[in-house]
Amino acid sequence: MSHVFLPPDLDRLWNILEENPGALLYAGGTDLLVRLRQNPLKPPSLVCLERIEELHGVRERGEEVFIGACATHTGLLADAIIRDNFPVLVKGLACLGSPPIRNMGTIGGNICTASPAGDALPPLYTLDAGLEIRSRNSSRRMALTDFILGPGKTSLQQGEILAGVWLNRHPPFAIHHFEKVGQRNALAISLVSLAALLTVSAPGIIERVRLAWGSVAPTVATSAAVEAMLTGRPLSRETMDSAIPLIGDAISPISDTRATARYRRTVAGNLLLRLIEVDRRCK
Amino acid sequence: MKISFLLNNREIELDVPSDRRVVDLLREDLALTGTKEGCGAGECGACTILVNGKSRLSCLMLAAQLEGCSVTTIEGLSPGDALHPVQEAFIEHGAVQCGFCTPGMVIAAVDLLRRTPDPDRPAIRRGLSGNLCRCTGYQKIIDAVEDTSRRRGKGKAS
Amino acid sequence: MKNAKNGILEIGKATPRADARGKVTGAEKYAADYYGDQLLWAGVKRAGIPHARIKGMELEGARNHPGVLAVLTCRDVRGSNRQGVIRQDQPVLVDDKVRHCGDAVALVVAEDRPALAKALDLIAVEYEPLPGVFDMETALKPGAVLVHEDNAEGNVLLKGELKTGRGEAALTECDVEVTAFFEVPRQEHAYLETEGGVALLREDGTLEIVVSTQTPFRDRAEVAKALGLDLEKIRILAPYCGGAFGGKDGITVQTLLGLAALHCPGRPIKMQWRREESFLAGVKRHHGRLHYRLGAKADGTLHALDAEIYYDTGPYDHLGGAVLALGLEHAGGPYRIPHTRLRGWSVYTNNPLGGAFRGFGVPQVAAAMEQMMDMAAARLGVSPLEMRLKNAVRRGDKNPVGVTLTSSTGVHECLALLAGQELWQERETWKAAARSFRLRGVGLACVMHGMGYGPLVPDCGNAKIEITEQGVFRIFSGVVDMGQGNAATYLQIAGSILNQDGDHLELVQPDTGKALPSGSASASRTTYTFGNALIGAALALKERIVRRAAALVENSGGGEDFTMAPGALVHRPTGQLIPLPQVARILDEAERISVFTFQAPVAAERPTADQNLQLHGIPHRIFSYGAHLACVEIDELTGKVEVKHYCAVSDCGSIINPQIVEQQIQGGIAQGLGYALSEDFIVENGRMATPDLSAYIIPTAMDIPDLGTFAVELPEETGPFGLKGAGEISMDGPLPALANAVADACGVRLFRYPLTAERVLQALAEKRGEGTGP
Repeated sequence: MSHVFLPPDLDRLWNILEENPGALLYAGGTDLLVRLRQNPLKPPSLVCLERIEELHGVRERGEEVFIGACATHTGLLADAIIRDNFPVLVKGLACLGSPPIRNMGTIGGNICTASPAGDALPPLYTLDAGLEIRSRNSSRRMALTDFILGPGKTSLQQGEILAGVWLNRHPPFAIHHFEKVGQRNALAISLVSLAALLTVSAPGIIERVRLAWGSVAPTVATSAAVEAMLTGRPLSRETMDSAIPLIGDAISPISDTRATARYRRTVAGNLLLRLIEVDRRCK
Repeated sequence: MKISFLLNNREIELDVPSDRRVVDLLREDLALTGTKEGCGAGECGACTILVNGKSRLSCLMLAAQLEGCSVTTIEGLSPGDALHPVQEAFIEHGAVQCGFCTPGMVIAAVDLLRRTPDPDRPAIRRGLSGNLCRCTGYQKIIDAVEDTSRRRGKGKAS
Repeated sequence: MKNAKNGILEIGKATPRADARGKVTGAEKYAADYYGDQLLWAGVKRAGIPHARIKGMELEGARNHPGVLAVLTCRDVRGSNRQGVIRQDQPVLVDDKVRHCGDAVALVVAEDRPALAKALDLIAVEYEPLPGVFDMETALKPGAVLVHEDNAEGNVLLKGELKTGRGEAALTECDVEVTAFFEVPRQEHAYLETEGGVALLREDGTLEIVVSTQTPFRDRAEVAKALGLDLEKIRILAPYCGGAFGGKDGITVQTLLGLAALHCPGRPIKMQWRREESFLAGVKRHHGRLHYRLGAKADGTLHALDAEIYYDTGPYDHLGGAVLALGLEHAGGPYRIPHTRLRGWSVYTNNPLGGAFRGFGVPQVAAAMEQMMDMAAARLGVSPLEMRLKNAVRRGDKNPVGVTLTSSTGVHECLALLAGQELWQERETWKAAARSFRLRGVGLACVMHGMGYGPLVPDCGNAKIEITEQGVFRIFSGVVDMGQGNAATYLQIAGSILNQDGDHLELVQPDTGKALPSGSASASRTTYTFGNALIGAALALKERIVRRAAALVENSGGGEDFTMAPGALVHRPTGQLIPLPQVARILDEAERISVFTFQAPVAAERPTADQNLQLHGIPHRIFSYGAHLACVEIDELTGKVEVKHYCAVSDCGSIINPQIVEQQIQGGIAQGLGYALSEDFIVENGRMATPDLSAYIIPTAMDIPDLGTFAVELPEETGPFGLKGAGEISMDGPLPALANAVADACGVRLFRYPLTAERVLQALAEKRGEGTGP
């Protein structure tokens, strides 16, 4: 049997963490409680973060936006600041799990679970998300890309929590695109996903582009080479065809019962072609 | 641990293990068996309940989390023998077959209609996409929710 | 069950189901909702290894664990320790050896679930692993590892051959011949309510089991034999199932719960399989491999068919022989084919258990045959619709197993109605409107489905209806309602005959202590067979009531002057009302009850002399028919198939409640679309690789389009109010309709299913010649 703590604020949380080494933290429970179901060994204690006010909400701070780690996906989908500034994130969150999962699951949970299939992650990578890590005595900022080390692995230390996410308020991109390929249209684990931010000039030249793929590597995959190749070129079939071979170096997909590595590799490239269509639709 | 919360509009206080799953607490400790368990892992939605008015999965919530909350289960959706309009519509439109997904589905529909006053069919499909049904093919469920929304709209207009 | 708010129940009128109210309020109690005072929990130690001998079991740790009341093994079973419908080859608890990962090796009873879980964990089993047999080819080779050493046919549970005309030799007389090999996946039922129940051994020695089952009467016999009990001492109660689809056609928890109860008398014992356990130990639709050769004359007339079908039945006969037999009988579809050779094998392996699943062997063969039809049509240069219209059977024709169709046969009517649909008429325009990176296609399928048990096993319903002293008509249902709505239909049938509304009718769910044996809830038979029996019982009761009422009215003029009304009888000449309770009270107890037996008619012809095939159900006499149309869009970048439109026309006879028939048709299509697109119960070396609902993908509300469902309503003369079975027919069409639509869209056909995005993308790449993008 595990004791479940429900601290109302950070001070109480720090005390609980000190007094209960080995306690496991959760917010929505949509990942941890599923994993515990499969595990006959119950942890000595569980700490649910959902009542900690400081970890909730979306706040504007100058040119930045702070998203509390315990903000639920549903909450973010309805938030005007998020909708206005980060459509790519909205698109990613909209296809995460299912309505009740989005009601319970949080952005902090999606990050700390560190699954390469986490649907919030590719959008956050393209947005250059920064994370706020806090412990009783310190607060530090680090890049999301440095925080996630591998599947289920983060650089969070004992006594630390993820307090929230920092995003630049006006990402300089006109097109926000997210596509998830799953085995069905809801309640799906992504086989491949692509988040893309781009700005295309009037004559159809890609001025700026950020890309991030989910489920094709141990962590979300990005490719400076592909982005460099696309920048300054026309958004066309020819350009994409020449960029696709470069993706191979950025990804290392696996095979499982859902799809083979080969399929993931092919589709990771094909999804770039969709950008041509997306741009057409935007016009 | 002792917890107190509002259950179907009734104050309730219980002494339960803090890690008892809410679905077990409802079904076994409180005999509210209208809330079903289909998978225990958040994949089917049969255990959906309303917590502070929002749909949540009672298989992925622990007793401690109920402290101070307002919980509505299928049994408490409408007072006495009266039916909620969504329940009426489910009956009328034939949205019920084996019925095991039904309580969770009804709760999900209530939550959807609260958030989205006038959903079209794709929005209804999306709103119910966390609740698996193996009998109906969903069509009559969508019909029922669509009709509830339409009637409510008419009620407001008149 | 009371039926609120309805007026007089009428045949043919869309009527909200009587069971819906209890279900939408959460008040209806399923087996999963039974607990009881002083409840104990029972659970099973599963083998977790596909093929092994048990060398030893360490049980002391579990036995000594606090809160554990019993740890039981095969030694504690006093009966045959065997279960199964035809061949009883499945142990309740493993005795000689483990034959699949889901086998039950020990049973634990404990005070609560934590103690149960801990005790199960403490049981250590020492195995001597045996080489397993995991594919059918290997299993059929001489010298193969044997699943049952005592089976005279090696790893063959059942094999069968049916031949008409000159058989496969006639292929040489054909102008075109098409050949193909198809592989269809295992399908998991994934009913929302997992297998479970509660058992109690009462002081008088009665064993009571409340269980989620399709077959209470057969369960009673199986429990008695397996556990060595007197049948009269067992009572099975079958509440509404939270879905079943064939997966609860036979024993799941019944024998285990019975055994637990025998060892812990006087306290209720509950067993509820977790989803993962249901996946591991429950039955699946058979994985199938099908080799087809179909030949036609230049004018498009089908001439010869040679089909060879293999079903992987896993380690036990969970109706696996009967499933194969129905597959054989339907292998040629609803067509006239004068020369056929149809051969099939139901093969034992160490894979998960194959068994009954809505469709019962037919979805596999329909998948093959309906694509053969398209392939032949393409070779002949005719449209898929023309090809079907030219060859579809009519009443009086012989079907592909050589049996004359003597009952209503509406396949032409289905096709004609489908052909008139805008989706079919405007298909080329619709296809041409596809966006960039999208391909569109339209596909047809034409299906038939036999109803009932076949020629040898009597297909009987024994209806029982009572008028209570309160003047309410009480139906004792003999056939389980697993969601298909037969209980509500029984009320509608009785209500219509007795002119009653819902307030004066009630239904008691199947209870072997109260109802009469009426067979299984399966084989598209529940309303046909029991409905016919109920008509007889209700008419007899009505006659008795009217006759007795006549005695209450002076100069009544006899029974003809009376009409029944809700709760009363009306004497028409005088307008006098006689309340039903008044009549009921002058009937003695026995008179208040009416029973009637109906036995379904069987085909007069026998297409095979093989008694074993006849026992397994060949041939059927009455068939339902359907024509399905699917419109799909394929994403060339991902291979994903989206069903944009779907429509099905069905011939299920006349319709008693259109709402319930639509439910059946839509629900079957949805399961069929899952089967076609995403459902694949993957097994690797006998171990499941899709252990739960996150890995095994069934459709959500976002995966099924709105479905057009139409009925042709040809009356079946022998059916209750002209009805015939509607439960399974719609399951047979979606896979072939979708496969044909995908082939139409891609210009290349896929032969393995489901039609996953990956398979479709691969097929597109191969067609273009590897390597190039879309």
